[in-house]
Amino acid sequence: MKHFAKLAAAAVVASVTAGAAMAEGLYTPNLSYRTGPFAATGIPLMNGQADYMNMLNARDGGIGGVMIDFDECETGYSTEKGVECYEKTKGKAIVTQPWSTGITLQVLPKTNVDEIPILAPGYGFSPMMDGKTFQWAFNAPSGYWDGADMIIQYLESQGDLAGKKIAFLHLDHPYGKEPIPVLEALAAAKGFEFTPIPVGLKEMQNQSAQWLQIRRMRPDNVIMWGWGAMNAGAITEAVKTKYPMENFIGVWWAGHDADLKIVGEDGKGYKSISWSFPNPDAPVMADIQKHVVEAGNTQSNPEEMSGVFYSRGIVISAILAEGIAVAQEHFGTAEINASQLRWGLENINMTEERIAELGLDGMVPPFATSCSNHTGNSGGWMLEWDGSKFVKASDLLTPNTDAYAALVAEKAGEYATSNAPWPVNEECEG
Amino acid sequence: MLYRTAGQFKTSYKTDQALFPIRQDAILLAIILVFVWVIFPLTASEFTFQAILIPVLIFALASMGLNILTGFAGQLSLGTGAFMGVGAYACYKMITLMPWMNPIVAILLSGVFSAGIGVVFGIPSLRIKGFYLAIATLAAQFFLVWLFEKWAWLYNYNSSGAIQVPNLEMFGTYISGPQAASVTEYYVVLFVVTLLTMLCINLTRGNLGRTWKATRDMDIAAELIGINLMKSKLTAFAISSYIVGVAGALYVFMWKGAAEPNVFDIPLSFQVLFIAIIGGLGSIMGNFLGAILIVGLPVVLNLLPNLLGIPIDSAMVEHLNIMIVGSLIIFFLIIEPHGLARLWALIREKLIIWPFPH
Repeated sequence: MKHFAKLAAAAVVASVTAGAAMAEGLYTPNLSYRTGPFAATGIPLMNGQADYMNMLNARDGGIGGVMIDFDECETGYSTEKGVECYEKTKGKAIVTQPWSTGITLQVLPKTNVDEIPILAPGYGFSPMMDGKTFQWAFNAPSGYWDGADMIIQYLESQGDLAGKKIAFLHLDHPYGKEPIPVLEALAAAKGFEFTPIPVGLKEMQNQSAQWLQIRRMRPDNVIMWGWGAMNAGAITEAVKTKYPMENFIGVWWAGHDADLKIVGEDGKGYKSISWSFPNPDAPVMADIQKHVVEAGNTQSNPEEMSGVFYSRGIVISAILAEGIAVAQEHFGTAEINASQLRWGLENINMTEERIAELGLDGMVPPFATSCSNHTGNSGGWMLEWDGSKFVKASDLLTPNTDAYAALVAEKAGEYATSNAPWPVNEECEG
Repeated sequence: MLYRTAGQFKTSYKTDQALFPIRQDAILLAIILVFVWVIFPLTASEFTFQAILIPVLIFALASMGLNILTGFAGQLSLGTGAFMGVGAYACYKMITLMPWMNPIVAILLSGVFSAGIGVVFGIPSLRIKGFYLAIATLAAQFFLVWLFEKWAWLYNYNSSGAIQVPNLEMFGTYISGPQAASVTEYYVVLFVVTLLTMLCINLTRGNLGRTWKATRDMDIAAELIGINLMKSKLTAFAISSYIVGVAGALYVFMWKGAAEPNVFDIPLSFQVLFIAIIGGLGSIMGNFLGAILIVGLPVVLNLLPNLLGIPIDSAMVEHLNIMIVGSLIIFFLIIEPHGLARLWALIREKLIIWPFPH
């Protein structure tokens, strides 16, 4: 008993001192997933995010003189853990990064009440673009509907789409279903035949049924909205069924180097739309090498660091850092709070000059957010697998957002009504 | 010492058969009730509500539903997750079709739908037993989750295929949805769980419960003494699925706030089954103990390194957590294969005769 009491006392003392030692700087938690079925794709992204923030801390002493307390809370991509992590971190967090469409859907209504900005770069709910309705949610630089539109634009640039058959291989999950409304509208407008082919969560690694359907249907193109084990499954099946890889296009989450390395040369021609690109010569990479890798503070490795996902992690952290910097400048204080960061994220202006200043040359297209547009619609590049790495296969494509602006407004309105009372920011213009 | 029974005399059969034959049990329960009804709500932080108190109660309720079927009536089921889903979707449809409906009434009614589905999938139990029945309930699991995905009417044709809880008002306060305060949600869950726990205790101690236990222990013998097996098994399926369905409605409406079909997939069924097995099959209290161990403990363990100031990766904590909880499960099952409820019963017995060993 005495022994136990001593232990307990030690624990109390330790917790008090630890509590005092922490809580310095701006707390930007990340709901990471380094475990579970999606870990393979999660780890490079998390590493990129963490390394960029560590680099800022080491090189500049944080942002505006305040250190960034970049913490991870492990969710394993499970929505239950996601809620737990959100509740755990929301007390002092100035931002929440949910990292899964499922968790985003869950925390989205809560962030409105708790008034914490939610940063979901390139994922989440596409109508989050409507900043009037989704005041606290940001999915810069590009949403899924942008991605769908850019893919169709690219295909159109390769030849008229009328009468063509396009199969849409997607994860049967909120994430995979996101682009369907836009693709259906585009199919009606451009006159191509659009067939969604769902892949259940349990069938991710065994897609023989789906690929049999594709083989029978002989689509001119296959568009894939896959994640985790589904991508590798689809790419190996495509190689096995000898589907022409150059007609196979994935969303940005289906462009992971490791998935393509499994098939190597056979995967040549596979494409993926992306709003980020790994540029090993960008100054930021040298800084990370100097301040983080050489200091032994990275969990990454050189092979991973040259990949698309690691550099995307860097871009994501850079967007957050830019939001913080903008807010600091506007409010004249380094210790910004959550609602000040919201203003910052809403006023990001990533021009070519600013991107170069940040050392991110060629890693992200320029974009700007505003009060009414929380996505920024940066556009992106079509990347192509050359047998050993991804290379740019197109110039910058920009989404034709007017085509689905009405849809965004409609879905955002629906969301607001079904979640009434839902505050709408009427002060925004345009 | 604490459990001294000296001076507590039983002078009638009624007192001998009472729910609490020993006064200390009643006092202990009263203390626990004061804690959960008064002290926790006054002191808990929002994190404690959302990550520990509410989920523990909901999972305990789901496990109690399964325990009626598996622990009391002896019918193994692997479809709990899907039946929770039926409750959740039924509640969602009722709330969206009839927004004027009282949310608590809707939650309690949603169990009726899962009870109906449960009876349908329980019909095979009249012919098959044991593992074979488990396979039949597994069919329910796969079929229902598939239905939640494909039947767009269930999720009101939402493009993401997920259901989302609207803000629900009762007597001028929000009791569900993002606007609701955690403490309100906790009280709603606690109210429903207390109500159904009382119902379960009474059912299992009464005529129906004895019929179930007879069916579980030896169905041929039960039939010979005049028990209608069909009635016994199907009532077990109905009541079990009712409770599980209510737990499912609470799970989405009072805790998660949104759900896509695959959260009701087989891992959820297994989680509930593990709670029931580790807590103790054929006990009511065991469900709460099991839920504390399987749902509550990992959350607490996750917090520990941070509280103690040990710098450790969040992913590493998660790995350690799985290992610790796994070994605890093995440890408890080795020292008492009949679950935590039986372990507590043994401790209590020892306390009563203390300081004598026999």
